[in-house]
Amino acid sequence: MAKEKITHSICVGGPMTIHVKDGVIRRIRPIVLTDDDAQGWVIKARGKEYTPQRKTTLSLLGYCEKDKTYAYDRIKYPMIREDFIETPDGQNRNTENRGKSGYRRASWDEALSLVAREIKRLHATYGKETLTAITSSHHSWGLVGYKISLFNRFFNMMGYTRVMDNPDSWEGFHWGAPHTYGYYWRLGGPEPFDMLEDAMKNVETMIMWSHDPDTTRGGYSAQESALWRWWMKEMGIQFIYVDPFNNFSSVKHADKWIGPRMGTDAAILEAIAYVWITEGTYDKEYIAKHGHRFDEWAQHILGLGVDGTAKTPKWAEELSGVKAADIKAIARRWASTVTTGGSGMRGGFGGACRTVGGTDYARLLVSLLAMQGMGKPGQNMWTGTCGGPMNYNFWFGGYSDPLASIAKAPVCDVPAANTVSQVLYRTNLPDAILDGHYEWYGEGFCGGGLDFEFTRHVYPAPGCNKVHAFWRYGGSFYGTMLDTNKWTKMYQSSELEFVINQDIYFTPETRHADVILPACSNLERVDIGEVGNSGNGGYCSHSQTGNSWQVIVYQDKAIEPLWDSRSDFWIFSQVAARLGWGEAFTEGRSEEEWAKRFWQFSDLPKVMSWEQFKEKGYYIVPVSFKEENVDPKTGLIENWDRYPGFQWFAEEKPCNTPNHKDFQEEGLLGTLTGKFEFVSESMLYWAPDDEIRTPIARYKDSWEGHKSLSADKFPYGMISPHPRFDYHTHYQQHSKWLWEIPENRKVINGNPYLICRINPKVAEEKGICEGDVVKLFNDRGQALCVAHITRRVNPETIHVYTSSGIYNPVELGKAGAVEKGGSINVLTPGRLMGDYIPAMVPNSCNIDVVKAEADPNPGQGWEYMLEAVDKQQEATQRPMNTSIEADIIFGEKEAK
Amino acid sequence: MRYGIAVNSARCMACYACFMACKDEHCGWGSALSAPQPHMGQFWMNIVEWERGDNERRIKTATVPTPCSHCDDPACMKAAKNGAVYKRPDGVVIIDPEKAVGQKEIVDACPIHAVYWNEELQLPQKCTMCAELLDDPDYPGKEPRCVEACPNQALVFGDLDDPNSEINKVIAANKVTQLEALGNMGSSVVHLNVPTAFLAGTVFLPAEEEEVCIGAHVKATCECGTVYEMDTNWAGDWEFEDLPKNKKFTIEITADGFKPVSYEAFTDADHYVAETYLERV
Repeated sequence: MAKEKITHSICVGGPMTIHVKDGVIRRIRPIVLTDDDAQGWVIKARGKEYTPQRKTTLSLLGYCEKDKTYAYDRIKYPMIREDFIETPDGQNRNTENRGKSGYRRASWDEALSLVAREIKRLHATYGKETLTAITSSHHSWGLVGYKISLFNRFFNMMGYTRVMDNPDSWEGFHWGAPHTYGYYWRLGGPEPFDMLEDAMKNVETMIMWSHDPDTTRGGYSAQESALWRWWMKEMGIQFIYVDPFNNFSSVKHADKWIGPRMGTDAAILEAIAYVWITEGTYDKEYIAKHGHRFDEWAQHILGLGVDGTAKTPKWAEELSGVKAADIKAIARRWASTVTTGGSGMRGGFGGACRTVGGTDYARLLVSLLAMQGMGKPGQNMWTGTCGGPMNYNFWFGGYSDPLASIAKAPVCDVPAANTVSQVLYRTNLPDAILDGHYEWYGEGFCGGGLDFEFTRHVYPAPGCNKVHAFWRYGGSFYGTMLDTNKWTKMYQSSELEFVINQDIYFTPETRHADVILPACSNLERVDIGEVGNSGNGGYCSHSQTGNSWQVIVYQDKAIEPLWDSRSDFWIFSQVAARLGWGEAFTEGRSEEEWAKRFWQFSDLPKVMSWEQFKEKGYYIVPVSFKEENVDPKTGLIENWDRYPGFQWFAEEKPCNTPNHKDFQEEGLLGTLTGKFEFVSESMLYWAPDDEIRTPIARYKDSWEGHKSLSADKFPYGMISPHPRFDYHTHYQQHSKWLWEIPENRKVINGNPYLICRINPKVAEEKGICEGDVVKLFNDRGQALCVAHITRRVNPETIHVYTSSGIYNPVELGKAGAVEKGGSINVLTPGRLMGDYIPAMVPNSCNIDVVKAEADPNPGQGWEYMLEAVDKQQEATQRPMNTSIEADIIFGEKEAK
Repeated sequence: MRYGIAVNSARCMACYACFMACKDEHCGWGSALSAPQPHMGQFWMNIVEWERGDNERRIKTATVPTPCSHCDDPACMKAAKNGAVYKRPDGVVIIDPEKAVGQKEIVDACPIHAVYWNEELQLPQKCTMCAELLDDPDYPGKEPRCVEACPNQALVFGDLDDPNSEINKVIAANKVTQLEALGNMGSSVVHLNVPTAFLAGTVFLPAEEEEVCIGAHVKATCECGTVYEMDTNWAGDWEFEDLPKNKKFTIEITADGFKPVSYEAFTDADHYVAETYLERV
């Protein structure tokens, strides 16, 4: 073959080796290490040696990157809504047609000039606060182009009404766990440092609560930890999975799976505590020393508290549907063996914490881990992702690092600070725009302290004008925010005089814009980044420990920008130039020169020059540089500087873990008392009347759940966990290869219906068969899915993945229309968890289901894309249930 | 030298990395060994999945990557005219993208449905084991794309003729599970640990005690005479995995101080036999 050009980049699916042939991307491969690259670590445990494969991994999404780059739904040219009128007062612009109207092609100059004119008009009329802007998370990777860097630089320099993100993936841990054990600076999550080795050496039982690691992949760590969990499984560690869905990890690894009714996890945790307290099987010495007001809590568990109800396993059985005998067995296994566990993706996540009362679920889980001596060898809060060996002494910035943004010094010369104090809150952005008023508590991400959860915000801020323009950048909230029919109503409101959408793809939100600015993908521009690094000091720091290899990548431009697309940096600098501050924005640097700044302010210059780095394309950081740490027998690195998470606390040593606070050095936690608070002093201080997150964490019936009024009408709990076959909304619409996975979608009449999972008992009652189109519905919305009948969900639960990148209402641009693209968040409640808790709760969602017909129209909502959807798909569909095929190849499977 | 892929089904999580890597390599791009694969509709690296078990208390899945087996005596080769299908000296079975035009019999001949029909090109198509890459001295990779993509070491590539190769070590260390559809024919793709059937259950103390029974003795006797035995674990559960298919079993459960219980079971499929509530003697 002709020699192919090879470059490298990073996506949320992992690090990529990109082959380019004659200017066209040929293939995407993992990075296969060469002899020049660093040696790997070796963990010696239970008589064996474990070392990672000498290659990085990519999730299935990474292998879709080429297909995605050339996708049919790329925005090819700047576009302007065909019935948009640039009225001088911003009124009468046919805003009610947003989502319905078509577009006309525009030149870059026409589009950019319109954007600049409108910004000047809006600023002159209402002030800088009149424009708001928001990005999705992780639609690109790299320290130059990521939102906290480039987006912040542009909008901070201009001044705008910032939209606070909510911690949508781990609400309960963020708003709950800090009141039990601190760690607000880790946004409620634990310290995973060096936990893999600890577990490999010591653990006998893993508690995987509300956790599907093979699906959530440590966040953005590809399949790096998949092998770790096989090592653990094959050495005989017992895995207990708790999830209403016998998820993709559980169904392979679980020695015991229990599937409680959604939102009742807290009751099971209380019952486990009941068993331990009545049988005396918890670490009394540890609790006496490190627990605060434990005895009052224990009284509550025993039924001697205010509610007078003993939290017995039988009590929990009635709520959760899990047998008391099973709860007792798990309680005793947990107490009698060396047990590590946690919730969700990195230990402090999981669908259970995204229910009403998810805060108290999180607090109870931490409380139980404390009761067994959290921090002793093999007894910790960790879930088999993150916590791999890492070289903490080698610094390279991650995306949330204050030192790793082009909006901040020293990377830029003049930092970009936003001069507008008014803010909005993402979950309720449509409410604020539509009602003209919104109030809420908290700073969105409350890493600054427990008190950050209780600050009060009002929109419009005193002295500020309301928002009249919206600049949307990257991704679709139809799949990730809740009660999303609201977003259509917002877009069609005349309150929004001007809407800009800047994206690589024609997403569901792009379709609601007045002006569309086509950005190029990560593979068409230069950037720099470390795989999986969310920041070494920023939030959830050192998440690159989810990888077996620490990989820093020169994200070279593989191909030139396709069609008329341009890099986000180019687009922003062009607008800045038209607004008169172009040079201040760029500081005269090209994208490559910005990328080089991150090399310059890292430890990379100690090991390789900029030219060497560019040439090689990546650098593998050895877990230790010291010669004496190498095992002479194998050449592998057997020693490194270890900082085992939380062990400092149990061992009562000054804390030395990365990303710690000063008070930890005195042996204190981040709670008000510095101890595990079984009765929360911070809740008593700031919000003693909070009815959801009470001073004593406990199970409470949800305002939407199996005991709420709406359950009579809508008897099933819908759970919509983070997706296995997508990342946020960033792949499903773009790569049709994903539609060919039977567990993901099924194409009927040209529309890719999302799979929902229904227990056979429910299917029988409702007359639903495998592969039928069904309608999921409640008072908020209706969505068509295809039914997969499976005993992997309990009969109370319907499972369907969230984060559909596709939103395809049967009636275009109509709020409340039947949704057939899989954005099931038209069903989820927009109500926040509690009066004081600004958390979204997608998994407290009552629905009903009926058999339905497929929509006869093929991909109706897609007609405004520049290329019509390929109508060939149906002919090439795979059967959903491959068991017939399996019978032929492997022999018959079904009972006769 | 004979190229082979060992498919260790026990390690497969159905993460679909192999499936996507295969599509990434072959969709829209051809070589001397294959015409471009259509964008959708063909699955040269097909993942066959089925759900195992008939009770929520014990459900597992089987997930078996099933590309072309590259059979020793390929049925597709026999069905082909003009030598349109040939087996290379390294064992890789190739459908010649020019000679095979119009020969739909090649699709129909495959006992494991691994050959696909390209309507547009009127061509049968299938896995090449990425031989076109392995043949190319300029290609930097050393393995077929699916194997390179597997994070779980569920796919292992190597030389079946080299007794010291990694693939032969993996085959020796695991249970070879011949695909039923291939009869007793050998092939260059070797499946390992494809599950057969399990029988499982849980033993409880009398219902009012709300306790599982740990350490109850469970004995499963096959009509063929083989006896399987275990004690219930910490969860009161018992399970016999990978039993011979389509056999009658007698399950006997005994525990000191309780009346013995027995069941009949049949391994036509995976069964959760019973939640057993013991009675005190």
